[in-house]
Parts: sequence; C-alpha cells; structure tokens
Amino acid sequence: MNTIRSFVSPRTEADRERRRIAVMCLPYFVLATFGAFLPLGMLARMSVSESQFSNEGFSLSAWELLLTEPVYREIAWNTLWFATATTLFSVAVAVAISHALAKYQLPFRRWIVAMVSFPIALPGIVVGFMIVVLFGRTGLLTNAVAFFTGENPIDLAVALTVGGLFLGYSFSLIPRATMVLRGTFAEINEDAEEAAKSLGASPLLTFRYVTLPQVWPGIVAAFVLTFRTALAIFGTVLVLPALNVATLRINLEIQSLGFNLATASAIGLIYFVFIFVFTFGGVKLIDNESLKI
Amino acid sequence: MTGENRRTDDETATDGGTQTGRSETTDTHRTSREKRGGLHRFDVSSAFGRQAVTLVLAATLTFLTLPILVTVVASFGTSWTGVIPTGYVNLDNWRTVLGLAEGIGVRQGVIRGLAYSAGLATAGMVINIVVGVPIAYSLVRYDFFAKDWINTLAILPIVPGVILAIAFLRMYPERGGSTFGLIIGYALLKSPFMVLTVQSSLQSMNLQQIEESARSLGASWIRTFLTVIVPNAKDGIIAGSIITWTLAAAEFNFTYIVHSAGPRPFSLFLFENITRSPVLQGAAAVSVYFLIVTAVIVLLQRVGKAGFTTVER
Repeated sequence: MNTIRSFVSPRTEADRERRRIAVMCLPYFVLATFGAFLPLGMLARMSVSESQFSNEGFSLSAWELLLTEPVYREIAWNTLWFATATTLFSVAVAVAISHALAKYQLPFRRWIVAMVSFPIALPGIVVGFMIVVLFGRTGLLTNAVAFFTGENPIDLAVALTVGGLFLGYSFSLIPRATMVLRGTFAEINEDAEEAAKSLGASPLLTFRYVTLPQVWPGIVAAFVLTFRTALAIFGTVLVLPALNVATLRINLEIQSLGFNLATASAIGLIYFVFIFVFTFGGVKLIDNESLKI
Repeated sequence: MTGENRRTDDETATDGGTQTGRSETTDTHRTSREKRGGLHRFDVSSAFGRQAVTLVLAATLTFLTLPILVTVVASFGTSWTGVIPTGYVNLDNWRTVLGLAEGIGVRQGVIRGLAYSAGLATAGMVINIVVGVPIAYSLVRYDFFAKDWINTLAILPIVPGVILAIAFLRMYPERGGSTFGLIIGYALLKSPFMVLTVQSSLQSMNLQQIEESARSLGASWIRTFLTVIVPNAKDGIIAGSIITWTLAAAEFNFTYIVHSAGPRPFSLFLFENITRSPVLQGAAAVSVYFLIVTAVIVLLQRVGKAGFTTVER
C-alpha cells in the first residue's frame, strides 16, 4: 500500500527516483510482455493442447512423444555437440584475430575490422549461400581443387556435408566472438606483458601466463554469447540441411511432417528453458561489461 | 625481433662479468644461461608465433570476404561451369532481380519486397528507439532492485526467432503473420542491439554531473532527459537505429515461419532466389543486400563505429 502511495505522489527524492526508473523501464516491459512473455505462455499452453489447430483440452502426448521417440534424443545431442564444437572453434579463431588486431602493426586496420564485422549483418540463408559459392558443386574452391587434381567437382563439393555446415556456422560465429573479444583485448595491461618479455619469457609463455589470465573473462563471455547464437541458427541449416538440429526439426514439424504445432511448441519450450538457464548461469560467470554483440 | 636484441645485451653483460674475474660462479651461471639461450633459440613461438597468428588472420579474412566478392562478381556473369563464372558483363541477372525481366523461381522483383521490409524495419526501429533509449539510460545511470537481471534480459535476446514465431502463430492468429506481428517481432528480436549501442555511448559520459547541472538550472527531469541526455547520446542512438534497421530489413528466421499474408518481405525474396533460382541469379539477389550492408558500414564509421558492431571504435 505504502509503495503504491509513494509511487502516485512521491514525497522524497528517493521515491521520485524510483518512479523515474519505473517509467523509463516501462516501455521495454510493455514490448516484452506482448512480444515475449505472453507468447511464451501461449507456447506452454499449445504444447499440451489436444488439437493442433486450436487450444482445446489437456494432453501430454506431445511431451510423451519427445521422451519416447529416439529421434528427439538424437536431435538434442546433435544440437548440443554441434553448437559446442563450432563455438569452441570460433572462439579460438577469434582469440587469434583479436590478438593480431590489438598487438600487430597491421595496414588498413579499420578496414580489417569492418570486413570481419560484415557477416554479423548477414541473415543465415545468405551465409548458407556463401558456403555454396565457395564449396558447392559449382563453387570456387571446389572447382579450383578439381582443376588441379583432375577429380570430379561433384565428388569434391562439401557444402552439403556436416563439414560444410560447420564452416557455415563458423562464418556467422567468428565475427561475433571477435567483436566481444576485441573490447577485452583493448583493455590489456601491456606493462605486465613487457615485463614478462624482458625477463626472457617467450611469446607463447607470455601469452599463456600473462595475457590469457587477463582476457579470460572476455573469452568466457564470448563463449556464452557465441554458444547462444549457435543454438539459434536456423537459416544456414535450412539452406545446408546436413544435420538434424532442433531449429530445423521445429520447422519440419510444422511444415513437411504436417502441422504438429504441439510438438513444435514442446521442442521450442525446452529450447527456450535451456537457453534461459544457460544464459543466467553464464552471466554469473562474467562481468556485465563484457556483454557485447 | 626484441628477443634477439635482449639476448645480445645479456651476453655482453656476462662477458663483462668474466673480465672482472668472478670466475667460478660466473661459469656455472654462464652454463645455465647458455642452456636457456639454447632453449630460447629453438623456441617455436618466437620463431613462428607471429607468422602463425597472422596466417590465421589472413585465412579467416579470406574465408569471410572471398565468397562476398565472388558473389558480386558472379552476378555479372553469364554461366558458371569452370573455376570462375564467365561471360562478362551480363546484366540479365540484375534485370531479373530488379523485376525488369521474367526470372526463374521467383514471382516478382526485389523492389516491392524491399520497400515492404524497409517499412517494417523502420517501424520496428522507431519502437526500438522509444523502448531502448530509456531502459539503456536507467540501466547505466541508476542502481535498483534486480538491475542485473533486467540488464541481462534487455541485452540478450530472450527468445530465438524461430521459437517466437511458433508462439506468434497462435498468439496473434489473425495478425501474427502480417504487418503487425512482423513489426512487434522485429522490435523485440532486435532491441538488444539498440540497448547495447546506447549503453556504450552513455557509459562514456558523466551522466550524474550533466544531469545535476541541468536540474540545478531548473530543468525538470523529463526536460533534462530529452534536451540534455538524448542529444549527447545522439551518435549511439543513430548507430543503434542503423544496426536494428538493417538486421530487421533482412530478418529471416522469424519471418519465414510467421509470414502468412500481405506482400512478401525481402528476406523471403532472398530465400526463393537462393534455393530455387540459378546460382548466378541468386548471386545478384544477395548482392542487393551486400550493397545495403556496405552503405550501412560506411554510415556507421561516420558515427564512430569500426564496423557492424555495437562496440565503440
């Protein structure tokens, strides 16, 4: 009661400040309510609906299906190992790129950053197309290799294999991981590195014992953000359907396999809960300052 | 390079020591130093570390930009049977994509879809400014209950586009797949980019001081916010608007599942071209978007961003 009164007619500056904060946050929460919270509630309702076309009755058949059908366990496994592998690879490459951008005298540094950031703007389907351009049957690299080895380009094309999909994921993930890490590398204390070097440590040892501990929070942040992005990739895997991951399956459930909205909702809900728990667990490990895209 | 110099310095110092006659200790000292010197000489990281890292950078840059360049070049070709497309300069693919000639696998040219998506993205961008700037400000300026949670919620997209789309199918059955649903979805999915960009711009200002000066001169807090804080954060707001607009204009994951009625958005046009058209025509369609992104990056560099990112230069 008191809080409501102080909200309507604030008496102290602290009350006024609280009201100000609430007013400033309000537009966001209105959008989040209609754009996310209510739809998520609807998703939960849809997953236990008896009918696929309207919310009627109560049935756990969609959930039973997810627990009993082996194909869904396989999808969960595929989604997790593939996202983990591509994230680890992308963050490792991003560490090397950020290191080079921060430490080396590179020509056209600004343009290099712009070029690395370019793929962030590309939707997944375009990324899939990029992989086809390089590694597809008519692809540039496929035909270049075929030209030198004399093999048939159709046998050499890797765009539609798991390897091609791996490259497609990396194409989207490396730029994001790099942008997170670039901020961390800019804040390194260079005196400590200089000291280590002048005491005779090799570049590798300096990196291992002086640089790495300093950028570790950034690496964890990059891992958390990149892994989340990897889980949500859909367009790339739609163009290069080499692996049955969850996003692809959700689309399959509502298009090719009929209109299994309840099953799609149940997968979506598990997916959301997983990402939510992972995010809030992950941000406990990292500094809010490192959260960047 | 510095390693070499240092070793020479060390050796000179040791030589100096020998000359002054501290024989035994210097000898043992010297052996261990030589051993270390030997290790140092064969250290892989000083010999190849920089080259290896530079090689990774060069390979990644090639991997990221080569397909973009090839796509743009290929869009002007006639056929692609060898290593690179041949038959330049052929504008047929561009004519088809721009809707000036009949194409294969697509119903219409790019103009209508692009205009529609540009409208949707602009509406989403306006919502993002109204929603994102105030919350970014209160998260940077004030400390309050559950602040860290709200911060995480605001800067990490809560729901992936595909899942949000499934919920929209029934949440807004009449209008979910039309203009209304798409605008709400775009605004929500892209809002983190606005919040982050404005936050990083606000963080470089001394907010409390600016605000107190304005308030002590008699401005109300709303007036202070609108006429002092917002103009100072102008670059961040512009950058955030550009980024959210571009991402919404080409949003695919959400659009693909949710879209049901009305004109076809730009990203669905891209998808048709990528999956159903000859590869060179697809290349021309994708090149249209590359042109937009290039223009956007040039704009972003003018407001202080190094590229398509929320991070300051």
